[in-house]
Amino acid sequence: MDFDFSGDQEQLRDAVRKWVDKAYSFDRRRSITAAGGFDRAAYKELAELGLTGLYVSDADGGMDMGPTEGMVVMEELGRGIVLEPLPQALIAGAVLGGYAPAELKASWLPRLTSGDALIVLAHQERALRYKLSACATTAMHSADGWCVSGTKNVVPVADQADAFIVPAMADGKLALFLLERTASGVSANGYLTQDGGRAGDLTLEAAPAHLITLDGQTAMEHAVDIGIAATCAEAVGVMDKTLLLTTDYMNTRKQFGVVIASFQALRHRVADMKMQLELGRSMSFYASLKLNAPAPERRAAMARAKVQLGQSMRFVGQQAVQLHGGIAVTDEYIASHYFKKLTQLEMTFGDTLHHLGEVSNRMQDTAGVFA
Amino acid sequence: MDLSFTPDEQAFREEIRAWVKANLPEDIAHKVHNALRLTRDDMQRWAKILGKKGWLGHGWSKEFGGPGWTAIQKHLFEEECALAGAPRVVPFGPVMVAPVIMAFGNKEQQERFLPGIANGEVWWSQGYSEPGAGSDLASLKCKAERQGDHFIVNGQKTWTTLGQYGEWIFCLVRTSSEGKPQTGISFLLIDMTSPGVSVRPIKLLDGECEVNEVWFDNVKVPAENLIGEENKGWTYAKYLLGHERTNIADVNRTKRELERLKRIAKTEGVWDDIRFRDQIALLEVDVVALEMLVLRVLSAEKSGKNSLDIAGLLKIRGSEIQQRYSELMMLAAGPYSLPFIEEAMEAGWQGDFPGGEVADAPLASTYFNMRKTTIYGGSNEVQRNIVAQTVLG
Repeated sequence: MDFDFSGDQEQLRDAVRKWVDKAYSFDRRRSITAAGGFDRAAYKELAELGLTGLYVSDADGGMDMGPTEGMVVMEELGRGIVLEPLPQALIAGAVLGGYAPAELKASWLPRLTSGDALIVLAHQERALRYKLSACATTAMHSADGWCVSGTKNVVPVADQADAFIVPAMADGKLALFLLERTASGVSANGYLTQDGGRAGDLTLEAAPAHLITLDGQTAMEHAVDIGIAATCAEAVGVMDKTLLLTTDYMNTRKQFGVVIASFQALRHRVADMKMQLELGRSMSFYASLKLNAPAPERRAAMARAKVQLGQSMRFVGQQAVQLHGGIAVTDEYIASHYFKKLTQLEMTFGDTLHHLGEVSNRMQDTAGVFA
Repeated sequence: MDLSFTPDEQAFREEIRAWVKANLPEDIAHKVHNALRLTRDDMQRWAKILGKKGWLGHGWSKEFGGPGWTAIQKHLFEEECALAGAPRVVPFGPVMVAPVIMAFGNKEQQERFLPGIANGEVWWSQGYSEPGAGSDLASLKCKAERQGDHFIVNGQKTWTTLGQYGEWIFCLVRTSSEGKPQTGISFLLIDMTSPGVSVRPIKLLDGECEVNEVWFDNVKVPAENLIGEENKGWTYAKYLLGHERTNIADVNRTKRELERLKRIAKTEGVWDDIRFRDQIALLEVDVVALEMLVLRVLSAEKSGKNSLDIAGLLKIRGSEIQQRYSELMMLAAGPYSLPFIEEAMEAGWQGDFPGGEVADAPLASTYFNMRKTTIYGGSNEVQRNIVAQTVLG
């Protein structure tokens, strides 16, 4: 039982924090949103820090790191509400590394690590909501392999990604494929998301696809669980900074001749925010530390964690706005952007009610961290 | 970062589990698992069994005859006891006054009082709150005047938990009205059989007398019963409140009660009602999150690395969750929680409980009783003040 970070992990945290502080100012972020919500150069900078290859093995030229390092990195990116979707790189690294045939790994993992290739998970379908067991997208055998048809929505940075990891039904069973954006039959549009980032819809018409695995269910669940743990960690970073912004403001802003931090009604709200933050941090630890557990245990842990983080994020975000007052509902002030990020993260990789259902369905007679 | 116990800790857990299984009387475990009323004898019997093994003061260092366990070992011990259905150790002796006697008492006091606490022979009570001093404890008025080699104590204490069984009581008393209220308080040990001490049980909303008023009318207390220095009692009291911080979250007992809630929900037919079941699922998440919070505090104690500012959160969250499970148990039984048949809360009752499910008998009483948890030990509003202080300054 040990929740201390190692020296190497602290160094990694410092490196990412430094980059966020120096290179990812609120002004830069604002200009990225104005330019469409994604900046290839910033993504490349994450790659130069080694982060896109965090979950890529040594043999494939990556950092070969684990969930705790992933958590540390995501906390720091959350602190800076970084728009470029690093969780997608974590997913791609683990899914390709863990499930793809050797030639696919060889052609994509080095480019993922270098940042030359942006690979994103494209799984959202209108009729699916958060279901991972089936989808409407289909895969057919073609002369030289497979081709995939279907539509995926709200795909991160769809119109600028280089490749997509796509679940599709192959012979009645969920399989996972890799598709290149420039392949025939692939089209993607783009739009802003509520947090100022970018997503798009992906349309596939008999598009040529590389098979990652025919056991798509196992790989998809793993992919989404990596996404959940990353999202939980990111949420902790966002909440940490949100609380800091709020308390700084409360210690400066004066009303009735005194700083508003002196009012007990507001102080108790801050105590409740701290509670939600620490419960959230505890469950983010839990999620990351269970990420390598056997699938049933891992799935149950992710659902529990996302329920806690979902509640924590909504509370911390809403209260931060309330405690700031009017300034926090302006676009100009930074706090509203943290609030929007928290709101978006709740709906990412399964919302609170979805995961509550997962917890509810999986309940056993006993329960606890180790059960 | 590691979310597992070491092989040594696992072995330790197994050892504790086997010992508890072999030594916890079944009739007591039955009462605990079903929230039936515990008698003084039940509590004493278990305390003495632990005492004989040297585990009643399970948090004590070897120097004072304790097992000298680590924070993690203590946690594992408490968890195994709780899950097996052991009654909660009455904390006033072994958990509360003993550490103060060890830290601030003199050698004579240690030799005189610690053995009776360690073996469970002497029942201790706590004399802190007064009618006019609850959350604002430092405003206490119960007065001790020095007269030669004695103190003469006059005043009243209240909310004295299980004080009707008390043989000794540790009290915060006012020895000076100079300066700030905190600076005139002393820590005094009082023999409850002394002339002038009277105890009146207070009947609570659940029908039980869990707490008492204690009066002191010219009670003569030898000066050698003063712990540490006169007028330094507040410091000792704060030390006591800061001791065993994770204990107050009571997460181990809560895990056991979550199991009971699920049993009740199944019996009452609401387990398959999604609307109800989701409430249990939410509670399950709350319990796991609380357990993680507790484990973080324990790990920080072990490594001594961080001064975590989250210990203050434990009491708030732990008490809210205790209230929630008791509420859900009552709601699960619905109308069958309503009959107030006190005999049905005693073990071995053979009558017909309305609806036939005698396990429903104590549910509403437990719910009512649990309202205390957000009030005692520093109300949750006071706790929020403390947390806010750490965050806002």
